[in-house]
Amino acid sequence: MKEEQIKELLSELGRRATEPVRPGLGEEIKQRIPHRLSRHKIGWDTVNIIIDLRLSKSVAVASIIITMILLLNFFGGRDLTGGGIIKDSMLLIKYWGRSGEDHISIARVKYEHLLERGENVIWYGDCIDIKDANSVLIQRKLPDAKYQLTFVDGHEKQVNSEQLVELLTLMLERRTK
Amino acid sequence: MEKKVKLAEQKADLVYLNNTQQNLGRDKEYNGQKRDSLVARLRTGDRAAAVELVDDYYQQIYLFMRKLGHDRQVSEDLTQECFFNAWHHIGQLKDGKALNGWIYRIASNVSRLHWRRHKNKEVIGIEDLEKPYSGKGEPEKMEQTEQLEHLRAAVERLPMKLRETIILHYMQQLTIAEATEAAGINQGTFKSRLNRALTILRKNIK
Repeated sequence: MKEEQIKELLSELGRRATEPVRPGLGEEIKQRIPHRLSRHKIGWDTVNIIIDLRLSKSVAVASIIITMILLLNFFGGRDLTGGGIIKDSMLLIKYWGRSGEDHISIARVKYEHLLERGENVIWYGDCIDIKDANSVLIQRKLPDAKYQLTFVDGHEKQVNSEQLVELLTLMLERRTK
Repeated sequence: MEKKVKLAEQKADLVYLNNTQQNLGRDKEYNGQKRDSLVARLRTGDRAAAVELVDDYYQQIYLFMRKLGHDRQVSEDLTQECFFNAWHHIGQLKDGKALNGWIYRIASNVSRLHWRRHKNKEVIGIEDLEKPYSGKGEPEKMEQTEQLEHLRAAVERLPMKLRETIILHYMQQLTIAEATEAAGINQGTFKSRLNRALTILRKNIK
């Protein structure tokens, strides 16, 4: 077969290889258009990377603090036996000590950011027991009918719809007790 | 007498061709202006322009995903993901001419990422071909449908990179410049892939 004939047939194949598109699809896409359709802001890249890497912000902050302490100790000529590192470590432990409420405020920022990006997310922070580490804070719908859950202690988990229902039921049961 | 009739027919054909060409030119110009205005509105963050973009492209993108071998459900998800990504990359959109290349590039990337995550997933193309609407006779129609079936199978057997070039340029009717932009490679590489793909197809369909 000649090349020209193949090209013509490919165009014909393109025209004829078609099927009806589900009517609701267009509407679903339109519903997910963000309210503020803004131009790409470079500043959000860092936040996006952190969220996309699923790296907890507190872990990122701790890593930065540890790196700074080490650099200061290395370049600042501080005496290692003078307690500098110990004091800094104490500060760091104090920081970790307040993690409960911090996780919630950080999670709230993350939730608002995801919502602004037009993602399908639900916030449970207003109706859960903060002391219960297994309570779900954010529910984010992923493709392939999966859900990413962020818990009060900051850890994240991917579950399917059945597991999600089970977790949420357990959470509500614990709360009513 | 017959000569006169033939001459009149030829004249009528010429007039028809001229009119069609003029109309096509006008349509092209109108489409170009429409796209420029759409892109300008998108760049200012106009939500109505985003709705218009969805109306213009969601079916094309869905069918593009299907032609790339994704099943119906995945194609729908990937189409949604494509537009979702589009809203966050509006700043990269330059002008009306770049619109096709830009949206198809996002779609290609979304599809590539999906294949990377699901390496062993089966390729499922569109199964039924629409019936031809040309004025050909039955035997010719049947022969062409058979040829198209062979060609479709051959396209599905092509390596992903080559298949993508064929689909973008011939099946989705993008220009070389748009298809190159969509594939995210330079024009030389794109043309060479296109040639390789056509050579393979020619060998497979004799």
